[in-house]
Amino acid sequence: MRKTSKVIFGLMATSLLGLSACNKGPSIPEDPKTPTAFCYTYMDYTTVSPSNWNELTYQDNNDTQIMSHIGGSFFTFNYEFDADGEIVDGGFTVDYDGATNLEDVSELIGKQAGSGYAYKITLRHDLKWDDGSPIKAADFVYSMKQQLDPAYKNYRADSFYNGSLIIHNAKNYAKIGDKGFFASTDVYEDYASADLENLYFHTAMPDEDAEDGSFEASDTLFDKQVIEPDYYASVTKNGLVACLSSWFAFEVPFTQEEIDSLEGKTVKEIKESSTLSAIYDNAISYAENFYGPAGEDLALVWCVSEYEYPEISFDQVGIFADGDYDLYIVLDSSLDLLKPDGTLSYKAAYNLSSLPLVKESLYEECRVAPATEGALPTSRYNSSVETSASWGPYKLTYFQAGKQYILERNENWYGYNMKEYKGQYQTDRIVCNTIEEWNTAWLSFQQGNITSIGIDVSISQDYKSSSRAVFTGDDYVASLQLQSSKEGLKNRETAGVDKEMLLYPDFRKALSLAIDRADYTAKCTTASQPGFGIFNEYHYYDVENAGVYRHTDAAKKVICETYGVNIDDYDSLDEAYAAVTGYNLELAKQLINSAYDEAVAAGTIAAGDKVVLTVGAAADSEATRRQFNYLKNAFETLAVGTKLEGRLTLEFDASFGSKWSTDFRAGAYDICTGGWSGAAWNPGYFLLAYLSPDYMYSKGWDTSKAMLTYDIYQDGSDVRTMSLLDWYDCLNDNEGAAINLSEGHYDTDLRLGLIAAIEGEILKVYYTVPLYNFYSAALLSYKVNYGSTTYNTFMAYGGIRYMTYNYDDLAWSYVKTHFDYKA
Amino acid sequence: MYMLKYIMKRLGLLVMTFVIIEVICFVLIKALPIVINVGIGQDRQIIIAQLTARGYFDPIPVQFWNYLKGIFTRGDFGICYNLPEYRNQSVVEVFRSKLPPTLLINVYSSLIAIPIGIALGIFAALKKNKWEDQVISTTVMLFISVPSFVYAFLVQYIFCFKLEWFPLTMLAGYDYFSPDMFLSMLPAVISLSFGSIAGYARYTRAELTEVLTNDYMLLARTKGLTKAQATTRHALRNAMVPIFPSIVGEFVSVLSGSLIIEKIFAIPGVGGLYLMAINAQDYDSFMFLSGFYILIGLLASIVIDLSYGVIDPRIRMGAK
Repeated sequence: MRKTSKVIFGLMATSLLGLSACNKGPSIPEDPKTPTAFCYTYMDYTTVSPSNWNELTYQDNNDTQIMSHIGGSFFTFNYEFDADGEIVDGGFTVDYDGATNLEDVSELIGKQAGSGYAYKITLRHDLKWDDGSPIKAADFVYSMKQQLDPAYKNYRADSFYNGSLIIHNAKNYAKIGDKGFFASTDVYEDYASADLENLYFHTAMPDEDAEDGSFEASDTLFDKQVIEPDYYASVTKNGLVACLSSWFAFEVPFTQEEIDSLEGKTVKEIKESSTLSAIYDNAISYAENFYGPAGEDLALVWCVSEYEYPEISFDQVGIFADGDYDLYIVLDSSLDLLKPDGTLSYKAAYNLSSLPLVKESLYEECRVAPATEGALPTSRYNSSVETSASWGPYKLTYFQAGKQYILERNENWYGYNMKEYKGQYQTDRIVCNTIEEWNTAWLSFQQGNITSIGIDVSISQDYKSSSRAVFTGDDYVASLQLQSSKEGLKNRETAGVDKEMLLYPDFRKALSLAIDRADYTAKCTTASQPGFGIFNEYHYYDVENAGVYRHTDAAKKVICETYGVNIDDYDSLDEAYAAVTGYNLELAKQLINSAYDEAVAAGTIAAGDKVVLTVGAAADSEATRRQFNYLKNAFETLAVGTKLEGRLTLEFDASFGSKWSTDFRAGAYDICTGGWSGAAWNPGYFLLAYLSPDYMYSKGWDTSKAMLTYDIYQDGSDVRTMSLLDWYDCLNDNEGAAINLSEGHYDTDLRLGLIAAIEGEILKVYYTVPLYNFYSAALLSYKVNYGSTTYNTFMAYGGIRYMTYNYDDLAWSYVKTHFDYKA
Repeated sequence: MYMLKYIMKRLGLLVMTFVIIEVICFVLIKALPIVINVGIGQDRQIIIAQLTARGYFDPIPVQFWNYLKGIFTRGDFGICYNLPEYRNQSVVEVFRSKLPPTLLINVYSSLIAIPIGIALGIFAALKKNKWEDQVISTTVMLFISVPSFVYAFLVQYIFCFKLEWFPLTMLAGYDYFSPDMFLSMLPAVISLSFGSIAGYARYTRAELTEVLTNDYMLLARTKGLTKAQATTRHALRNAMVPIFPSIVGEFVSVLSGSLIIEKIFAIPGVGGLYLMAINAQDYDSFMFLSGFYILIGLLASIVIDLSYGVIDPRIRMGAK
């Protein structure tokens, strides 16, 4: 026994000694538990700790938690105040911040003066890092060079060539040395300029080539026109001719053997052979069905070309400094950062809030060379206290991964010298703890140790009427996505179990009408509102003047029509729109019967077959279970009294993890809840999420074949029938668009009407069934108040900037547990 | 000599088993399709380039060779690529930084659970079928039946929230041996202890009860030993033969942490790391953690087997 005791004791002692060796992490600057008078600490919590707040490489919103406090800006939004100094509801201004002047200098690059292609930004002279070292214009140039460094392939490099802010040559610099096969339309402007030895005729490339990026066929005939989810697989498996015959009505003027004989050959080789040349001519003529008579230029859409981005000097990139404080940027796409009167437009603060900025000396220290040949170099910059630099209102003073970070006032921030910020930023310190479990955070909030907490559904009934409740909406519409892949559905059918009912529009419409969205949102969400369209109240067509798409007549009409509300039955369109519930069980039951009859007639369902639909989710959580149970109950109730009574049910599968959306698109299950946010101020562009196979959930729905007839000017002068995808191209003036209907080139009301028409077409196929417009709800501690009680699109509730404190830390420590948040 | 041969043989088998499991893990995780999430307006080529640079598109045998080469030539077990909290950080560093809190709360829990559990078990065995035994056995069943996260919520609500004896969550910082830190760990330690105490008590009671009825116990008493002497010198020693390996097993499980307890008390430990690695399909962290736990598990089985000989010298592994 004594020996045993020794062994146990030895084990424990070794463990403890080992652990004591680990006790060497950084210490917390000042114990945040010790309350201090006249010190104002904002106690926050996060479920996922940030890991990389490097502007050049950050990947998700967790990282912006720190970034948003340690970075400055050139221009910033602010509230609009009336003559009495009160905030104007919904009003905003755009102010100079880290910059003192913005000048349109487009004429310097040969463009029309004031056309928004080149700008000179004059920086404040007191921009400093948190250690007091100065920030000059050259620092922004250096940072952009690092951002676009082709060796690093930085995650955020595309922000400067793929978005609204397209810096001249940014893409060409970032992609120096990238080599591979690209769409010939990307490589050559037209056939005349093409090297015929570098035009490789290709109809299908193996999946693996497409996947690893060595082949990019973004604009070939087939990527553009054949909106087939498994194009490569289908063509490889069935042959191009069979595919084209099944997808399109046009006669295919070549055989499979003939087209195969062209595969992989250069146009030069093809032209040298009269046999091949004849087949090639047929292929060109076939392409005219899609592109019109474009002659030899159509070779480009059939071909891919090898290309290597050439070496260019960074001097050729559209950013440079002149002196210490003047920064110039040259854009490939114009941006109206200034209003005609010379004041800042909202785009200045939205599109050019700032440019990436890293501290050169620290960044150089943080470089990490690639460990192996072929690997990429990386950087440790902004991933710990030691590697962080701030030029914003706060600086990072403590960071423990997965546990806590602390931000403290950066006394060297230029804003503290500005009258515009007088009386703001009362918060001295932000302490953020990582707490994964909401219940723990809730107890902590009630103890006064967290300043704001999201309201969970479990307490929403008691607390969402609280005077301390704050609601925030956003542009996310959560929708039920219904499987559209016939193959995907059929492959998962088993004896006695049918899934193909989902392919019948009446059935999908019935599912939509069976959901009482008001009841669903009340029971399954904290504060969200019923949603009926793919756009909600946060999609603006004219954000500067508070023009909300959903408030337009066209947008309201399309919702009324989709959900069967007859506008003539109401005094006004608004009344009719307000009457939309999206719930009509009686009609839904009729539709179930008609869909069933159709399926029986088609032989896709047998008498006695059950319809079992799989609802997939990323994780098995209380929330996903709650939503599943609601839907299961709703759909089983729908089947009562119909020909599917007792034969329609749902099953739950939460095994998809982070691949849930990829798996859904691949047809692995039947129903998911998903949606999109982003591009909230550009509804015409946002349609991309529901029309492009790159993004849409319903990849089995061919938007290149779904036709829409629209009277462009609403006067009968130009009525066209085009595919939804073509209309989308017109709305955004994409390459190949039949007519330019983009913003500024087409009457706004007419354009909104077209967007609404497309929205209607998307809704009417019922592959996307909108459920709710997302709203979050939070309780705010009595310790603080927001700057405004009304939500503002640009300023939200004022954030940390306008936050005021009712108690300092010391006073709060005495009173923090004495509040009732239900009231 | 027998023992040495036995150990060498077991170590040889360990290496073989370890390699086979590692290869299977590697092939299986790499056989899953690569998740490529491209947001609206994002340049897919950047994401592809990042993945390509990490060799994710290479054939699996090539990837495995590079993985082994990295380990044996540079000691490089890779970096976390998909774990949001640890993106681009060395998997070894992440694991090393998160291990101490997990180890500590589990070691503290064991320090509390082992003596109390064994003492209760001995007491219950000695009072077999009396009311004391009934009370202990019923309580033990209760604690074994209820999952530890239920205690965790109760402990947190009662002791941390209502009574405010302890903080709701573990304190931040690396000062693991300060009194404040210890206090902040106690709720998790207590929550973890309940189940262990009950387990040890039940096991000890069962073993000791059986041993106490053996003939040699009667012999011990007849040769003049008191009940206490007979129990400690003979009964307990024999009863420990199966109990001690379970204690070693407990130490092994300590390393994997407790996912739920760590979440509830916001302990920055390794509890959820493995699950996160699997969910996020983070290859390097999955492989490192798999390797680590497989190795520890295999080593533990050898240690447990050898421990029989320490407890009872009559048991000699490998002896013919």
